[in-house]
Amino acid sequence: MSQNLFIREMPNGMTLLGQPMEGVSSAAMTLLVPLGSAHDPAGLEGGASILCEWMFRGAGDMDSRRLNDALDELGAEHSECVLSEHLQFSSAQLGVNLHQVLRIYADIIRRPTLDDAAFEPCRELTLADLESLEDEPARKCSLLLAENFYPWPLGRSIYGSRESLCSASASTLRSHALGGMSPRGAIIAVAGNIDWPAFCAQTQDLFEDWRTPPQDPINVQPARRGCAFLKKDSSQVYISLAHKSVTVGHKLYYAARLAESVLSGGMSSRLMDELRDKRGLVYSVNSRYHSLKEHAGIFTTAGTTPQRAQQTLDVMIDVMARLGEGVTDEELARSKAQLKSFLIMQGESTSSRSAALAGDWYFLRRLRTLDELSSAVDSVTTDELVEYATQFPARDFTVVLVGPDELKLPRGARHAL
Amino acid sequence: MRFDHTTLPNGLTVLAESNPAAATAALGFFVKTGSRDESPEASGVSHFLEHMMFKGTGRRTTAQVNRQFDEIGADYNAATTEETTVYYASVLSEHLPKLIDLMADIMQPALREEDFSTEKSVILEEIALYEDQPRFRVYDTLMSLYFGSHPLGNVILGTPRTIAAMTTGQMMEYFRRRYSPSNIVLAAAGKVDFAWLSESAHRLCGHWSGQQTAPRVAQVPAGASGRQILHDARLAREHVGFMSPAPSAQDDDRFAAQVLSAIVGDDTGSMLYYDLVETAMVDEISLGHAAMDGAGVFMTFLSADPRKAKAAVEATGNTIRRFMHDGPTDSQLTAARNKIATGITLKGELPMGRLADIAGDWVYRNDYMPLEDQIARLLAVDCDDVRQVAARYDPASAAMLALGPLENL
Repeated sequence: MSQNLFIREMPNGMTLLGQPMEGVSSAAMTLLVPLGSAHDPAGLEGGASILCEWMFRGAGDMDSRRLNDALDELGAEHSECVLSEHLQFSSAQLGVNLHQVLRIYADIIRRPTLDDAAFEPCRELTLADLESLEDEPARKCSLLLAENFYPWPLGRSIYGSRESLCSASASTLRSHALGGMSPRGAIIAVAGNIDWPAFCAQTQDLFEDWRTPPQDPINVQPARRGCAFLKKDSSQVYISLAHKSVTVGHKLYYAARLAESVLSGGMSSRLMDELRDKRGLVYSVNSRYHSLKEHAGIFTTAGTTPQRAQQTLDVMIDVMARLGEGVTDEELARSKAQLKSFLIMQGESTSSRSAALAGDWYFLRRLRTLDELSSAVDSVTTDELVEYATQFPARDFTVVLVGPDELKLPRGARHAL
Repeated sequence: MRFDHTTLPNGLTVLAESNPAAATAALGFFVKTGSRDESPEASGVSHFLEHMMFKGTGRRTTAQVNRQFDEIGADYNAATTEETTVYYASVLSEHLPKLIDLMADIMQPALREEDFSTEKSVILEEIALYEDQPRFRVYDTLMSLYFGSHPLGNVILGTPRTIAAMTTGQMMEYFRRRYSPSNIVLAAAGKVDFAWLSESAHRLCGHWSGQQTAPRVAQVPAGASGRQILHDARLAREHVGFMSPAPSAQDDDRFAAQVLSAIVGDDTGSMLYYDLVETAMVDEISLGHAAMDGAGVFMTFLSADPRKAKAAVEATGNTIRRFMHDGPTDSQLTAARNKIATGITLKGELPMGRLADIAGDWVYRNDYMPLEDQIARLLAVDCDDVRQVAARYDPASAAMLALGPLENL
């Protein structure tokens, strides 16, 4: 599959990325604005989540209703999410409608109304999201794990706390947002049925006079790490473990992704085989790689009923620790086949492609072609995989447990507090 | 795009929509069976069997099945609903020969006693997992409340009691009764050659036999309209579901029902969104249409702060009644149609998305509908069509189930 990838860097610091795709009529857009939850000032934690909702309550000369109706009438399938380092806006539509959708997003980002009347319901919805976590123990467990694992405040929950949400005011959040949303580091990626020159010309018209200076860098503190237990009268115990991995630009990155796949890539992976097929301990267990710009980890989670929880935890830790003892050629070959097949299948979806372009630029400041990814995966040897597992061993876990009873961590697994 | 189909002498249907420009292909066996086809004592057998299908055959052990899917980088899974059980995978097209050999083989499972007892534990864990998800509890209980003694009210996973008591004998009996070739469709989409598919199906599935699966009794569900409050002090939010009659999978009104759902209850820009989410009365709300075999329902789910739940339930009813009185506006109709068209287009650009649609069309209607026709049918829905569906099915009169800290609502 040949790929034409385009990059245009604008003088104000914004980057435009594009990939025209044959045989599709949709065009997907991913927009990253460098104002994520980690940028929330002290006392305004959760602010980015309120903001994400608030920005859709009117922009430019449109009120909330007109803005949302306009996106709907263009058939824009859109979603917004708060990441640690960005606000992410995604929208997929027919390619013929992309230029009209882009015009609306320029208003949302550069001229959000952010009026006092709309602030209160946005704050209440964020509070509702926070309180809903009490009914979703698995998600709460994962959020707490990221919060404790990453250096503070990079993994901090995007919902803040009840106190911070209740004390947030429209005026503080408005000045944080308008002063903080800068084109420097902003990325717009489009993929699918696109006209690249026309997209660039329009984006330049809409954004070239955007000059907000970049905000101060985040003041990063050491991670909390350690082991946290949250008592919950749930049917299952939710076990989550995180340990350090390499970032996307690291020379062992592809070895890390293949290690992830050996552990949890498919039904034949080690965690599935040992925990589910051989012992019937769990329905779901998985190990996932996740990266921020400067930090990365392997996040492993499982859910199981209380009487099987200790055994589940012990087996999980044992299986992960054994990775450094070696992998077979067959395991590596299977993991490569899975990873390459996944990449090619992602390559057929316009939404996946626009998100991947934006991610590549943010992490690497360049775009990787499918051929490059494929040969990088192919070139990893079993020795490199073992080198990775030895340099970044599965121990010193950050642990979060949610459920009726606490569990014992094996010696050596616990990170020194 | 090209569509072909054939039926093998043993009754297995084989069909494909080929797209030579695609890089990948998706393949699936669609069995017309699910929890509605179970006896009460074997509740959960369809779903348990779906798990057991991956546990080895006369030619392969469980580990071999798992490894061989992974060796070809297959993205694969299976799913059980009230009325279908599907096994599907997508791969780079060069791996199709290995994939079909493997998938055809697992359709004739060994059902070994030892695997059965290990997998029983996995099923019990899955039941426990869903018990911690209020939305699923509301769905299951509401289906039982609404459908009453009609088999569509059967729970998919079964209960800890029926699963613990289940035997391989019961499962084999169910397999023989429901997995006859005439009750199965083999479908493919993307980069696939139909002549090859058909020849492979003859070679790998032509020997399958089984007693003729009896057609489902076409019993139209009455559909209850009661209210039930399930008190659970452990929950922080009140989770509420509503269910009312809607067009079935065989009814041409299903297109208008889909448009109606988008206008009233899509998760962005719909009437319920503006009335309840924008005002922060609920955390979330959506109304959807589920088209089933000979039956259909509109389903609405919301979650709210318990202090606002009563007002939210009233507001939901008011919004639906206002819609029924006023009907849709032209701009609501345009927005709903365009949103649905985008969704269908995005799904249709992936072989897996097309596979689900073409197999669904065949299983439910013995019909094939190209993507363009599907979009054209939706874009042809007008205000009168939507109004008529609303009047015929009256979504304002619904059964209600609330789960959460409240004892009364």
